[in-house]
Amino acid sequence: MPIKYSQYLNAAAVRHRSLSYNSLAPIIDGKGQKPERIKLSFSQVVELMAPYCGLRVLDQLKAVAPLAAYLMLFQLLVLRHPVDSALTLCFGLIAVVIGLAVFMEGLSTGLMPFGTIIGDNLPKKASMFVVLIIIGILGVGVTFAEPAIGALQAFGSSVDVTKAPYLFELLNNWALPLVLMVGAGVGLAAILGTVRFVKGWSLKPMIYLAIFPVFVLTIYAWFDPNLRSVLGLAWDCGAVTTGPVTVPLVLSLGIGIANAAGKGGSSLSGFGVVTMASLFPILAVLILAIFVSFSITPEEIIAAAKTASNVVVEQPSIWDQTPLVEVVLGVRAILPLVLFLMFVLFVVLKSTLPNKMITVYGLTLSILGMCIFNIGLTYGLGAIGSQTGGVLPAAFMEIPVSESSPIFGIMTGLSIVIGFAFILGFGATLAEPALNALGLTVQTLTNGAFKKSMLMYSVAGGVAVGIALGVSKVVLGFDLMKVLLPLYIFGIVLTVFSTEEFVNVAWDSAGVTTGPVTVPLVLAMGLGLGNAVSAIDGFGILSLASICPIVAVLSMGLVIKFIKKKADNPVAV
Amino acid sequence: MKERTITYLTDANLITCVIQKDLAEPVLEAAKNAGAQGATISYAQGTGVRERMGLMGVTIDEQKEVIRIIVSQEQSDIIFETMYLAGQLDKPGKGIMFMSALQRVATYIPDDVFEKLG
Repeated sequence: MPIKYSQYLNAAAVRHRSLSYNSLAPIIDGKGQKPERIKLSFSQVVELMAPYCGLRVLDQLKAVAPLAAYLMLFQLLVLRHPVDSALTLCFGLIAVVIGLAVFMEGLSTGLMPFGTIIGDNLPKKASMFVVLIIIGILGVGVTFAEPAIGALQAFGSSVDVTKAPYLFELLNNWALPLVLMVGAGVGLAAILGTVRFVKGWSLKPMIYLAIFPVFVLTIYAWFDPNLRSVLGLAWDCGAVTTGPVTVPLVLSLGIGIANAAGKGGSSLSGFGVVTMASLFPILAVLILAIFVSFSITPEEIIAAAKTASNVVVEQPSIWDQTPLVEVVLGVRAILPLVLFLMFVLFVVLKSTLPNKMITVYGLTLSILGMCIFNIGLTYGLGAIGSQTGGVLPAAFMEIPVSESSPIFGIMTGLSIVIGFAFILGFGATLAEPALNALGLTVQTLTNGAFKKSMLMYSVAGGVAVGIALGVSKVVLGFDLMKVLLPLYIFGIVLTVFSTEEFVNVAWDSAGVTTGPVTVPLVLAMGLGLGNAVSAIDGFGILSLASICPIVAVLSMGLVIKFIKKKADNPVAV
Repeated sequence: MKERTITYLTDANLITCVIQKDLAEPVLEAAKNAGAQGATISYAQGTGVRERMGLMGVTIDEQKEVIRIIVSQEQSDIIFETMYLAGQLDKPGKGIMFMSALQRVATYIPDDVFEKLG
């Protein structure tokens, strides 16, 4: 009998054997047996662990490695400057990858179940008022847990006190109130977002209402020359808050509540929170800055900073030194959130967790991951960002760190630096996994009129332009607000003419672009660059990177609407 | 009234493969290469083994994909094996699959197929 070659190959490579299922699950004493706990041998554990760990690490590696490689290669090949302490950098970057992988796994196995259970059960057992208060407090908690917020605090010491006294004061002596205010902003956003879910409000008027006070306070601060330096920080805070902890946790709660109110299921119900969460923190930070400006004068800050630097620095205790300080920061970031969630679950809901062991494992992972990530932030992402930022001006001006500077003429050098920023923004954004998901949603929403790739490229292009603009702001030292405010006004005008669905997507697209890798990297690069060219402050890049994609997506939407209209009603010749 | 026909297909088997999410893609690809005409995929949630493994349960994704493929009896063994190997079901925690005989299958059969077969 002839057989196929493929059949022969299969038969040769695969051994077949049979086993009766009866012998695995027999009847003993006339009864079926409850299955026993599964015991695993060491090799089985390895076989299970390897793909589990590998996949998660690979996900983060894909986000970190290309960016880090791009920065290092640019520094080596274009700026002709060796990468300092390359070994430490590599270890730092590895810590970032592992820390993020561990943290994200902890987030999904430990923290997220809390969010889902609370979201499902809270509205049934508590009044709307209590629910909103809990969501508000949660907003503060998630802000502390956000990996990128640590980056903001870590770079505070690099600000020059004489040039920007209030900025220095906010980042150094008011760091805790600063994060608290940002958290309060996120909390308020979460409350409003939830009310919006339930009542089905339109996002447009909320954007107008939220932006108006932001504008008023910004203009007030702009006219005070001492407060002007705070603006970059305030607008950047909005971008920092919408990261991998805030968005899913607040969303899972909000969607649970909307479901309980019978208003869930709309494809748009998830949107809008991100927008609010990136506008209110700006407002909160501005209020704090204005409060500080009333309570202390710039002269007092400078004097205080001088005395502080004159005092012999006392030996820092072991808890203030790396790597222990990062561990303390990591624990401090996650623990309050966990305790609060536990309080709500056990005390308010009087409920238990479905799988205690796995939740405890997840919570441990999230704290552990946060600590590792913090260490990586100091030695890896922050270090390489500030290093490249510091060497970047060598392209067009003479700086002490680079012997061969200036490498190019002023115009060539400047365009190389701006081009570098553009590509950095474009690449980093396309690598964000959240963008892919958003693109799919948009494609479905618009019945394919707005293609996924089109959204991804317009968001990435927007971020690229934003980062390029931001870098030119730091290098050339032009006034951030003179660019930012017109862009926002333009965005508002576009919002008026766009459909509700599109407004939701466009304003949220800014949030997906500011992940835990991009934010520290861009912040560190901006501050390093700012120090190298002696700019007042290196903030503002992130805020520009937030508004540009909004404008880009809104314009694309309008263009598509226009083309479609034209196609639908062809003009008779 | 126009006469309508139902063609009954006989000698068909159903292969069902319950597999960890994200592993479905290679299994489908392999099945199609081995001769499967099409597949139905549904999403499901598994339970049981995960809980009995204690902490190691986290390594197994709760989310499953269920792949259902109707195959001809002749091809069924080779497709079954190919899917098993592509899904790495010989490793712990990947999934489970089974095959059952189908009494009767009916769908649209183009006329030219009949003509070709005589």
